[in-house]
Amino acid sequence: MTVRQLLPLFAGLLLGWFSATAGAQDDPFEQEEKAITAAAQKVASCVVRIETVGGLEKVGKVFVASGPTTGLIVDADGYIISSAYSFVQKPTSILVTLPSGSRAAATIVARDHARMLVLLKVTTNEKLPTPTAVPRSEMLVGQWTIAVGRTFDATQLSMSAGILSAKERIWSKAIQTDAKISPTNYGGPLVDIQGRVLGVLAPLSPQGGGGELGGAEWYDSGIGFAVPLVDIQRHLSTLKSGKDLYPGLIGISLKPGDIYVLPAEIVAVPPNSPAAKAGLKAGDVITSIDGQPIVRQAQLKHAFGPKYAGEKVKLTVTRKIDNDHKQLDFEAELTDELIPYEHPFFGVLPMRGGGAKGIGVRYVFPGSPAAEMGLNAGDRIVALAGLDVENVAATQQFISSRELGSKLEVKWLRGDEEKNGELKLAKFNADVPQDLPSAVSGDLPQPAEKAATGIVEIKLPEEKNNCLALVPENYHPQVPQGVLVYLPPPGPSDKEKLSLRFKSLAEKNQVIVLVPQSADPKKWDPTESGFIRKALEDLSAHYTIDPTRVASFGAEAGGTMAFLTAAEHRDKFRGVAVAEGSPPARMKAPETDPVNRLAVFLAAAAKSPHKGVLDAAAAKLKESKFPVTEHSLGDAVRSFDANDDAQLFRWLDGLDRF
Amino acid sequence: MIRYFTFLALILLGFTPNAQAQQSLAKVISTVQPRMVKLYGAGGVQGLEAYQSAFLISNEGHILTAWSYVLDADVITATLDDGRKLTAEMVGMDPRLEIAVLKVDAQDLPHFNLDEAITLEAGQRVLAFSNLYGVATGNEPTSVLRGIVSAKADLAARRGAFETNYRGKVYVVDAMTNNPGAAGGALTDSKGRLAGLIGKELRNSQTNTWLNFAIPIGELAQAVVDIRAGKLRAASRNETAKKPKESHTLAQFGIRLVPDFLPKTPPFVESVKPMSPAAKADIRTDDLILFVNEHLVPSHKQVVEELTFVDRVDPVRLTIQRGQELLEVQLTLEP
Repeated sequence: MTVRQLLPLFAGLLLGWFSATAGAQDDPFEQEEKAITAAAQKVASCVVRIETVGGLEKVGKVFVASGPTTGLIVDADGYIISSAYSFVQKPTSILVTLPSGSRAAATIVARDHARMLVLLKVTTNEKLPTPTAVPRSEMLVGQWTIAVGRTFDATQLSMSAGILSAKERIWSKAIQTDAKISPTNYGGPLVDIQGRVLGVLAPLSPQGGGGELGGAEWYDSGIGFAVPLVDIQRHLSTLKSGKDLYPGLIGISLKPGDIYVLPAEIVAVPPNSPAAKAGLKAGDVITSIDGQPIVRQAQLKHAFGPKYAGEKVKLTVTRKIDNDHKQLDFEAELTDELIPYEHPFFGVLPMRGGGAKGIGVRYVFPGSPAAEMGLNAGDRIVALAGLDVENVAATQQFISSRELGSKLEVKWLRGDEEKNGELKLAKFNADVPQDLPSAVSGDLPQPAEKAATGIVEIKLPEEKNNCLALVPENYHPQVPQGVLVYLPPPGPSDKEKLSLRFKSLAEKNQVIVLVPQSADPKKWDPTESGFIRKALEDLSAHYTIDPTRVASFGAEAGGTMAFLTAAEHRDKFRGVAVAEGSPPARMKAPETDPVNRLAVFLAAAAKSPHKGVLDAAAAKLKESKFPVTEHSLGDAVRSFDANDDAQLFRWLDGLDRF
Repeated sequence: MIRYFTFLALILLGFTPNAQAQQSLAKVISTVQPRMVKLYGAGGVQGLEAYQSAFLISNEGHILTAWSYVLDADVITATLDDGRKLTAEMVGMDPRLEIAVLKVDAQDLPHFNLDEAITLEAGQRVLAFSNLYGVATGNEPTSVLRGIVSAKADLAARRGAFETNYRGKVYVVDAMTNNPGAAGGALTDSKGRLAGLIGKELRNSQTNTWLNFAIPIGELAQAVVDIRAGKLRAASRNETAKKPKESHTLAQFGIRLVPDFLPKTPPFVESVKPMSPAAKADIRTDDLILFVNEHLVPSHKQVVEELTFVDRVDPVRLTIQRGQELLEVQLTLEP
């Protein structure tokens, strides 16, 4: 069901329709009509019809519009701005109908990748008219807006009227209108009742993703977006010079949690990032950007939303120096691409459960900094850099805030003996250790209440999907469980087979196997990643989950879905495992994130049709500094056997390393 | 105190036009609603709705609506604005415009006079009255949407299961009229003057988006007169009419029509066999057959049926629509 069907706009006995500009005449409607038509006519000479010839019919699964589109002249020398949506099919030829009625060929000069716009250039002797832009300060929510297009007919405008619904949308990149916005007017202007241009209509996605096609499924829903023309004008000279515009990145990781509550506290600054070059450090709290005060993380996102790579920003931070909070000023130049962040490695696997001070060492990776320092399995790490060690997640995060190669003081206990040492953080190790000792120590007290174990059915309200969870019989609320989110092939899952396959591995590795099923027995739908997240959250509400060992796993179509789910929910997943599957076709390579770590496990047979794609993905991910584990399934294509499953669970078992 | 009073007076003054606008809109709507009709007929399976919209065009119960599968029922029920449920008889239809005229047995009904219909320009405010989603039942008034005319444009709609034959100018509107059950509703200006008949659910073939449109009454008026005069009526034959021993078939002419999925699949030509009589007469893919000899054939089924009345030795005259052109061709079987 499309959005348009969800939003039938009933019975509009609209209050407040009357616009003061129309004057108090006998028939206000006639005045309004005149004002609307006049406003559209005022901008008409700047609105051009663009026809595209050739190119792709389909991008991904979406049939792209092949019909004419609209553009807005922004410069008398033949520059026209339009929405990237209409050029996603990579047309072989672009024709613009000029105000004189003649057609001129156009070329794409540059693209704005942050706002999904393109700048076109036509060669003509005609002196082209340009529109008047409305300054942001004069925009009023509730004011008239008229969306103008020129797709039906070269000689006629199409128009749709509405009000300005909001000014700071999509992290301040766009304004919002309830006038109907669709491929019939993408690229055209949104004008005020005086015929001045507020913005250029584009199908932006409130969720931020989706590239050039993002947000198009919202068409005609009463939720439409336009990029303010004043914002475009500010960067027009860059675009005219042929340079693409990219979202500006600074390279900081903020404390995870609710962005509407938490202050902008930095937990990691990758070296070489603009933030690091400017002098920002982990622990700093950003309090203002370009003079604009920042109290919460959401405000920071709003402030960065409109910024492009190459722009300079002034930052004020609070830094704790010698128990004193100091205000410091910095300036950073934003970049379009961050050097991939590489997680530093300490070299141990921690014990799980138990309430004693510090972290028990379960296993020390041979050759790791911890091994060189002399740490043994059975020791307890109690302090790092003079700070008490709390838990595994906090320790992982603490190490993430350190640079590769930096030194770290360590205090640990061996029996009752206290030891001290120093190590140098090394490159991350993605090896899967064989024959690990148990991760659970000692005898745990009998739990007060026994949780449901075995195959548990999870039913979520308002979700069609079925979901099973295999909870190991030895589940104990004091032992945090890893979660393998297994995405089975579409269709019903056999409980007995599941149990037979995973039961003993789950018990051995303290893992709950969560099995969400596709709603359609024939296929997985990308939107179902939302359901998978909900199922995972429901599981965490009822069982003790180890957030450092949650991974999605699937074969073939389930593998693609596993990729997609982990990429979309980086805050929840620490690993993704794929067998004979491939990343979604249009998925961009993810970026490493100091806070939300992601390990990758790729399995394929040498003669598998997926081998090439998976090898390419592995190379790309390694280059981006992801810990990638490659697992060969032999020569001919086959499904996972018991040995492969055991390897997968050992990989999952080691995800809490640091 | 005096200052306070002035302030209040200013507010009142400022709001008067607004209040006026509201009142006049409410008044307009209340005069249009009694002319609207909710139709119930066939459908109700596989996502096909069993209802649509219509409006009265004479005081003796003539109703104008969009021609659709909803009308393909033994009993079509028309629910008037006052809640009366009446059985509607089919007076006739025009397959080129995809409209139908029905009649209910009632007198002195509020109605639109087609002669008084107006034309609109882009930018004009409109009201769209329809039974969208079937939310109005009994004596509930139909739903009203407001919007403006976005464009007056040639209908460039997608051919699909619900293809349209009409290819003329339409009013594209920015109100969401493209909803189940809205077809056959009325589009008026802000004074409640009739301007268009809301079209069926269609996609714009150029942009692949759903199209909100109404057919201008001016394009329909003559057809309605013809239908009411009995000129456009689906062939209803005398049961005893004699069929020839050997009649024509489509296959012999080399014509294949679009498969007969729906009871009233329009007779579009899907393919023409090379070198066949049809190919020689220049019949082409996508042609729409309107008449077999003098008989109106609004569906695939009726073309097949009509041919069974024509002797193989006699020539057949077909009236076909190609784009916006009407053509006549004569087919004969070679000896």
